[in-house]
Amino acid sequence: MSEETIFAKMHSAIENYDADAAIAAANEAVTAGLDPAVALEKGFADPIRKIGEAFERMDIFLPELVMAANAMKAGVEVLEGALRAKGSAVVKKGVVVLGTVEGDIHDIGKTVVGAMFQANGYEVHDLGVEVPAPRFIQAAEESKANVIAMSALLSTTMLYQRDVIELLRNKGLKDKYFIIVGGAPVTQKWADEIGANAYGRDAIEAVRVLDAHTKEWAK
Amino acid sequence: MNFKEVAKRAETGPLIEANDFLMQRVAANVLALKKEYDVKWDGKSLINLDDQLADRCWQAGKELLLRSGLYSMNSRRVIQFSKDEIDDALRLVPSQIIMGEGKEQKTAYHRGVEDPRPPFVMSGPFNADTHESMFIKLNEAFAQERMIDCLFLPGYLKELDGQMIRPNSGLSSRAAVLYGEWAREAVRRAGRPGMPIVGHSVMALNEMACTNEAYGLRKTDPRAMVLLSELQVDDVTMARLGYYLAYGTPIYIAHTPLVGGYGGGPDGTAIIGVASFIASVLLGSEICHVGPQHIKYKTQTNNHSLFLGSLVNQATNRNSRIITTTSHTTAGRAGSDQYAYEFSALELAVVTGGSNISGPRPAEPLGFNNVSPLMGRLFAEVGYAAAKLSREAASGIIEQLFAKYKDAMTLETAPKGAPFEQLYDVQKLVPTAEHQACYDRVKAELTRLGVPFCN
Repeated sequence: MSEETIFAKMHSAIENYDADAAIAAANEAVTAGLDPAVALEKGFADPIRKIGEAFERMDIFLPELVMAANAMKAGVEVLEGALRAKGSAVVKKGVVVLGTVEGDIHDIGKTVVGAMFQANGYEVHDLGVEVPAPRFIQAAEESKANVIAMSALLSTTMLYQRDVIELLRNKGLKDKYFIIVGGAPVTQKWADEIGANAYGRDAIEAVRVLDAHTKEWAK
Repeated sequence: MNFKEVAKRAETGPLIEANDFLMQRVAANVLALKKEYDVKWDGKSLINLDDQLADRCWQAGKELLLRSGLYSMNSRRVIQFSKDEIDDALRLVPSQIIMGEGKEQKTAYHRGVEDPRPPFVMSGPFNADTHESMFIKLNEAFAQERMIDCLFLPGYLKELDGQMIRPNSGLSSRAAVLYGEWAREAVRRAGRPGMPIVGHSVMALNEMACTNEAYGLRKTDPRAMVLLSELQVDDVTMARLGYYLAYGTPIYIAHTPLVGGYGGGPDGTAIIGVASFIASVLLGSEICHVGPQHIKYKTQTNNHSLFLGSLVNQATNRNSRIITTTSHTTAGRAGSDQYAYEFSALELAVVTGGSNISGPRPAEPLGFNNVSPLMGRLFAEVGYAAAKLSREAASGIIEQLFAKYKDAMTLETAPKGAPFEQLYDVQKLVPTAEHQACYDRVKAELTRLGVPFCN
């Protein structure tokens, strides 16, 4: 099977939000002896970028974005396995630990951000909602994350974003992570006040912000 | 169905993960029901003019609730309802509800599509961040607007004495107590001591501390609760509901279906809106509020949300006795002309669809007290005027209003407005000359466009 045919199958799997097809196509790429890093870029990265753009234009909606991100994740796991077998690793833009802060049960905004990060080449560890401050740090340390992303949808819960940063500072870990905050009541002023590295008004801006800072943690 | 049964099902229903509920039960069913009932937005209309589409949307929404149920986020169980239970709840839902006391006792009622009776007007700070130093003054200024029937969500106390308030903390209880006391004091100062107050003091269980018959929120004041998007309820809401139902306050449940979320576009999201209206009734709601959110714009006055607001209200008000109300959040902020054009467009779209009105508020207030009581007056006046219009007549005006702000309807590009203390002389509690001029100018323009004001 030609390289083009395999890439076409990988594209189609993402475009049709089909995780099983993504796994099958990734396996075909590995069996055909394609470089997994090249297969990842040409097979999965191109269509997932288009999915992200379509979501921005509102041509597709959240369920499609989530399904496409899940399909990509399934396929990438196969390619990662092949890379590990060769003794190398997938080059990712970064590893993100993401969650909604303690006392806050709002999920959708955070899910959109997670799916957009994933669709743009970041490895995402979604901790869910009502995440206590120590859990963000524990998860970031365990997953060797570069980024901690915190969502807060209420005026009364955004102060937990401050607590995570304060705890990081107390542990001497503040400069180890790029910290981005967002959510309805959150502003750039608040981000500056609590010492976050960045503020993302929405998922699209959050991706742009991270993309603009990848060099900071690649050092 | 009584609350005991609903609460029991939250403990005994099928156990599933939240993501599975949202993707498999909500998103998949909305997709199927959109096709099954042919619920489709034409991509252009800002208001629905098709009664059959409204009726199909109602049927699809009812079916969605039957298929998906309501998700209890904390127990991870689905509260399921049978068709008979849904039909019973809709048959028994009250079509009017009394609130407030004495001369300020008011009745909110179900309105039909193109109902000539004026909407019930709920206006106030709408829980925008309100500073403690301005809390009473701001609410007094809203309460002195006589067309406002009910003081709406007197404002979040984000901090007290310069200290930010953590949910469920001691300070949070203190904030809830003060919220009740200060809101009552505000309506007293305005000479309307029995004016009903829709309350939701802090986003935590200890918000119930706002209740005090002498000094705070009373049995006759509605309490607001919110369903989470989509079709989800959490323990704090259930716990508050259990208490307020037993105490006997009117129950006001809001839902915030997300355009661009699990329902897709405005058509699919309207189906979720209908299902959420019915779910609210099953939880005991007497006034049911829709406040659509938008994944991109965050407002309710963009083209998608205008149509959604119009469709979901027409669907519900043509086919049930539910008392519906719609919240109004805008991109433009108080103090700008755009703020008024935006909330007016939405009012015309939803009041003609049978909705009552709650709001207005900027979707992204910049700092404390970013609301205006004078705009609360205009909000009431436009609501009354809208009740005199057909949907067809409203449609042309909405088009013209939308054209005025469509190029500045993102939160970044919308006018920044000003806080209450810059829009008002807070000693005399009257608008500044500049803010009064804004009101006069906008009202004149709305009149020119065909809004039939009473005076």
